[in-house]
Amino acid sequence: MRQPARAGSSLSARLAWRLAAVMVLAVGLAGAAVGWRSIATIHSLDDAALQGLARSVARHLVRAPGGGIKVALPPALAVRFRYSDGAMLYLVLDGANHVLAGSDPAAGTLLAPFLPRPPAAGLFQVPRAGHDAPPMVGYLRRDHGLGIVVAQGREQREALVNSLMSDFMVTGLGLLLPIGAAAVLIGVLTIRAGLRPLRVASAAAARVDPANAGMRLPQAGLPREVLPLVSAVNAALARLERGLTVQRRFAGEAAHALRTPLAVLTARLDDLPEGAEAVALRRDADRMARLVDQMLKMARLEGLPLDTSQPVDLRAVAVEAISDLAPLAIRQGIELSLKDPAAPVPVRGNHAALALAAANLIENALAYAPPGSAVEVEIAPPGTLRVLDRGPGVAEPERARIFERFQHGHRPAGTSGNGAGLGLAIVAEIAAAHRGSVGVAERGGGGAVFTLQIGRPVAGG
Amino acid sequence: MRLLAIEDEQELAELLHRALGRAGFAVDLAPDLAGAEDHLGVAPYDAVILDLALPDGDGLALLRRLRARDAAVPVLILTARDGPEDRVAGLDAGADDYLVKPFHMPELVSRLRALLRRPNAALGLRLELGNLAFDTVTRDVLAAGSPLRLSPRETALLEMLLRRPGRVIPREAIEQSLYSFDEPLGSNAIEVLVHRLRRKLLDSGVDVQVHTLRGVGYLLADPA
Repeated sequence: MRQPARAGSSLSARLAWRLAAVMVLAVGLAGAAVGWRSIATIHSLDDAALQGLARSVARHLVRAPGGGIKVALPPALAVRFRYSDGAMLYLVLDGANHVLAGSDPAAGTLLAPFLPRPPAAGLFQVPRAGHDAPPMVGYLRRDHGLGIVVAQGREQREALVNSLMSDFMVTGLGLLLPIGAAAVLIGVLTIRAGLRPLRVASAAAARVDPANAGMRLPQAGLPREVLPLVSAVNAALARLERGLTVQRRFAGEAAHALRTPLAVLTARLDDLPEGAEAVALRRDADRMARLVDQMLKMARLEGLPLDTSQPVDLRAVAVEAISDLAPLAIRQGIELSLKDPAAPVPVRGNHAALALAAANLIENALAYAPPGSAVEVEIAPPGTLRVLDRGPGVAEPERARIFERFQHGHRPAGTSGNGAGLGLAIVAEIAAAHRGSVGVAERGGGGAVFTLQIGRPVAGG
Repeated sequence: MRLLAIEDEQELAELLHRALGRAGFAVDLAPDLAGAEDHLGVAPYDAVILDLALPDGDGLALLRRLRARDAAVPVLILTARDGPEDRVAGLDAGADDYLVKPFHMPELVSRLRALLRRPNAALGLRLELGNLAFDTVTRDVLAAGSPLRLSPRETALLEMLLRRPGRVIPREAIEQSLYSFDEPLGSNAIEVLVHRLRRKLLDSGVDVQVHTLRGVGYLLADPA
């Protein structure tokens, strides 16, 4: 089972989230590492400081004339002990660990129980009773038969660690956060910029249709990661185009294949002696020929791109269509004309296609107009061509349907009705290709008005 | 009148041979380009009917070779290719007319006659339709067997219509050709002229008719 693809998850959003997560993790880990290392460093620095303190005290021991020991600290150091509020202590012991001197009367009672047996020297822990404060750290130094003990509370260490950590938080995060944000931003921008050619390719893909099957997606500037997809799409387009070409060629081949036997049939029927039978057969063959003709025109319209940007004069289009159908109109005894005044009507379009549309509209009118009536063609700016007849008109419910393929209006008796059912569909197709429309309405006084409206008039024309 | 019909479809070729023979033409048949070249090499033809899709190549190639040799023989393309661009290609290659299959034999005959009537063609002298005849050199009109007197303008109009029977002659074309006469042309001069010509033809018992396509032009149609 394939997981349905998560729609709408943006690559740059995903990258941004992941980068952000990585940055937060990195900052956290770096903070922890720095904190741990700093605490270790502070501890060892602190221990060294304690040893230094013991050395300082030892250096300032003075033997009193009575055999006693006096401590004569320099004032700066003495002040530190005095104002430490019990967090900094020293004791001077003799060889039997009797207290000879101390920084504080309480120092002896506090430290005595923990004093190691001689001759041990080094660091030791001093718990403090009565409050939650962390134990003090003591240090014993043996010097010239005397023991010098110094002890210091942990408060200073904690303060130092806290200040180091907050320093790290402020300066470290202050640096890391902008760098992280910049990394996320650069990642997102890189993806955006890298995907821009893909957006261009998508826009190109949106324009692909049978009318421009030769089109390919642009590959320039595409990141290597999506290049295989785009070139695969282009290869698919090339295969489709080949298929389309085969299909289009089929229209031409079908023309030859169908028209030649029809030509033989028509020629043979023209060779028949005159009679009701011959007339009927010729009419049938003509109808078949017209159907083939319309099918091929339809196929050609669908298969080939129609250039609708030529400057075209709708008047010339109407004149051409009328001229082509004049013999048919005369045979049917119908008066075909172009309504006056008919000044040139310039439009943008395809002359051949518009002439075909006009001819189909006129042919349709001739098929339904009673003999002796008139079929009129009217043109008007900016791009209207109307064909007016005095036939039976088109009933309301059929007005949309007759422009679909193989649909006929109800054919009244007495009209020729030789349409194959594709003529108006072709007109609709051509109108659509010109971004225009075709429709039918009732004509005042009886009959139908077919209106072909072309979308784009010539600018300023 | 000797014609060469280049057509690979055997049955159609035979029907052409028979129908055109009945219409008074002597018709030679060639099934492909090679056969056509052989015929064109040995006999002078008054007109050629040319199919385009032939077993050994495109008829347009033959047409181009023909025109490159300066051959003035009128050529009518008879083909299943009906696209506007096919027509243009055919006419550009030097064809004089273009008829799409399937076609009606009477139309082919009348188009061939029209081709043979053209000024450069062998028979450019006498134009005929129904029981109306016109000599392009002496300018004499014969209506239902008897001479008909027409003014120079009426005669010029009749000649234009007779040169392209069954097809619409645009108003503008008539106007332009009549400008060459000394008299100035009034606003409804053409309507008046056509009306007079129509009247005279009717009065003299001619069976062809001048049809008006209002806003477009005029067309001369035979009785059928």
